[in-house]
Amino acid sequence: MYFHTLPFLIFFLIVYPTYLIVKETKLRLPFLLAASYFFYGWLNPLYLVLIAYSTALDYFVVVRMAKSRRRKSWLAVSIANNLGLLGFFKYGAFVTDNVNLLLSSLNVPYEVPSPGMLLPVGLSFYIFQSLSYTIDYYRGNVEKETSLIRYATFVALFPRLLAGPIERAKNLLPQMHKSPRICGGDIADGLSMFVVGLFKKVALADYLALYVNKVYAAPDQFQSPALILATFLFAWQIYFDFSGYTDMARGVARVMGFRLMLNFNNPYLAASLGEFWGRWHISLSTWFKDYLYIPLGGNRKGTFNTYRNMFLVMVISGLWHGAAWTFVIWGALHAIGRFFTRELERTAFYKEKVPRLVKQLLVFAFVTFAWIFFRAESIGDAWLVVTRIFGSGWADPRCPALALALIFAVWLYQYAYESKLRWVLECKPVRVGFVVAMILYLIVFAPSSDQAFIYLQF
Amino acid sequence: MQKRRIQGVNNREDVVFGSNAIRLSGAEWIVVAVICLAAFFFAPSLWGQLGEIKSEPDYRLPYRLGGDYWLYSRLCRQACSQYETVLVGDSVMWGHYAPADGTLSHYLNENAVKDEFANLGVDGFHPAALWGLLKYYGRSISDKEVILHLNPLWMSGRKQDLQTEKEYRFQHQKLVPQFRPKIPCYKDSWSERVSVAIGRHVAFTGWTSHLRTAYFDNMDVPAWTMEHPYENPLGAVTLELPVADEDNPQDDRSWTERSMTKQNFQWVGLETSLQWKLFRKSVELLKARGNTVFVLVGPFNEHMFTGDSPGVYGRMKDGIESWLRQSNIPYSMPEALPSELYSDASHPLAEGYALLAKKLFENESFQSTILGER
Repeated sequence: MYFHTLPFLIFFLIVYPTYLIVKETKLRLPFLLAASYFFYGWLNPLYLVLIAYSTALDYFVVVRMAKSRRRKSWLAVSIANNLGLLGFFKYGAFVTDNVNLLLSSLNVPYEVPSPGMLLPVGLSFYIFQSLSYTIDYYRGNVEKETSLIRYATFVALFPRLLAGPIERAKNLLPQMHKSPRICGGDIADGLSMFVVGLFKKVALADYLALYVNKVYAAPDQFQSPALILATFLFAWQIYFDFSGYTDMARGVARVMGFRLMLNFNNPYLAASLGEFWGRWHISLSTWFKDYLYIPLGGNRKGTFNTYRNMFLVMVISGLWHGAAWTFVIWGALHAIGRFFTRELERTAFYKEKVPRLVKQLLVFAFVTFAWIFFRAESIGDAWLVVTRIFGSGWADPRCPALALALIFAVWLYQYAYESKLRWVLECKPVRVGFVVAMILYLIVFAPSSDQAFIYLQF
Repeated sequence: MQKRRIQGVNNREDVVFGSNAIRLSGAEWIVVAVICLAAFFFAPSLWGQLGEIKSEPDYRLPYRLGGDYWLYSRLCRQACSQYETVLVGDSVMWGHYAPADGTLSHYLNENAVKDEFANLGVDGFHPAALWGLLKYYGRSISDKEVILHLNPLWMSGRKQDLQTEKEYRFQHQKLVPQFRPKIPCYKDSWSERVSVAIGRHVAFTGWTSHLRTAYFDNMDVPAWTMEHPYENPLGAVTLELPVADEDNPQDDRSWTERSMTKQNFQWVGLETSLQWKLFRKSVELLKARGNTVFVLVGPFNEHMFTGDSPGVYGRMKDGIESWLRQSNIPYSMPEALPSELYSDASHPLAEGYALLAKKLFENESFQSTILGER
């Protein structure tokens, strides 16, 4: 169930008061776990088998690691199991499709049967979260969790289950050891986050999707201006959709007394690609940095190895998003972009003479270009969009001016927030005014929407 | 970024609040709630004070605003304050194919010499939807004389009677009973039905729907901007309402001139008919509100009948008449009009309405119920 739908509202109106009643008792975690499993099972009861299995195995692995000298072997079990699950459910069809393509091109009269599995929602997120626990324990960064119920609740906590943030055990597990103190400030903060997230999703992301879907469904029928604008709108749509989900998740968790990490920090204000990845899907980018980039050597083994590691991480990050070559290309593009901007930032001219605003616009332009490969249905479609952007003529794009105005307003807000004008935005009348405007816009103008979140498919 | 220390869990950890300044305190949330609730409660009624619905006698709800239930409630309020008798029903009462000065209400006013009949018919309102319209948006119709029309067309088959098992998207789904009685062809999810059921009691919901219907081509604003990319949505919200006959599908040809053929209608039995059941509930609802109810049945275009239709239809009419008598509801079941005065199976042409009005004025029950106290 999605946060912005009636079933979730009913679910939360039942769960939250009950949680407040039991939070000081021994029933706190069992109840939270049951509620989380109910939330997840609502989508498909079979999903529960997988999450329960993954949770139990990693819990058991750490218990064995604590008693065994062969800790590395147990870690390998956890990694193999988690990546195996991910590989099978997420990449099984992709791999078999490509193997079959290869066999066909070699005239081999055999076809590997496609697994035909449904990808469980949230798999990529909770697998990574669980894996971070076993790795962190191996490294001595976190203590062994003694309660299976507590650990299971950590993995399945419903506000963040479907699309993150990918929490670290050292942040979230300690919060589960004691009954959370929920004060008025937590509820006020949670509401603030939730309303902002809801506005981003319903009023902005779903609105932009109308134009993006129309153009990307048939790119051959649109000219350059429409394709450019659709790509530009998609850049903001995916940001509003994903960060909106995260805001709502954090808001729900906050009213329950849990602090989830910030996952998006105005990424389109980044002045370099490195900075972009420090602001976009922070929980994933830090996960890859800590568990892949640094173990590979990071930037400690020379330029070639640094770039090799960066490339691998970005390509794998792309693949994490989906089992398709377009995501691989998207990741590779970002890797190449990072190489380029890293070298550029070493030049005195770029570092000192180029205004920050120009750098921000350049980074945004590059990131937006790369989104073409993320959004397109296939490499062919992506290439079609790219060639038509640069090669087709002019035609009226008929892109809603209101959509562009809203995006500009948001960008201006973010820009002011990170400037000396922040004090204006922090004034009480401005904050209250914005919230009133968002709520009234939602209830008067926004459509009744049950469009799924984009990142749920990952 | 706003940073804040976690209290009481791990004081060494900093968890960033967010990347914007939209963080309200409890007191500020109360201010927001007060402002939003004020808008929620007062905006519809304030809006209703602005703008004006034309009040000439032949006014009827514009065709394309048939789904604007909030506007209908305003129209009811205005009509009930100005006229003795209101006509309620579907497109037959509204006057599909006829101009505004060619409807039943117009000719009743002509016969009455002065204007005392108001047209509160709405195109497409089958009895199941009409019940919802009267229950939730027709509260102003109280202590009035009501001519309530029953169009037998809605019982002329299982589909019209909403009894098919296969999903069928019929008109005005938001007005029919959402849970009981069960409507087999209505398959919307339970969450949608709950939303509809709640929304019917909230004036604000009706008002926002009015804005959408009246000013945004019955689309939500984002979808409307896709069709009008360079127009200002706020500029579209004028206080002007469409003229009633701007988009009425007028056609003065008879059903034979339109090459319609005779049919063997598969009439649904009264004992199982959903539409008849809900029509009876509408009668009871109007009576409970202190109205004097006069039921007008048909007249259906019996010239179109073939096969078993005449016999079955006759038995159905007997059943309807029996119930009306037992319930002491004054009624009229006029004979079918001349064939050339019908535009289709149920809609008269303007001349047909004129003849029907004359027949009503000659009807004793009509005279004593509606005209009696003049």
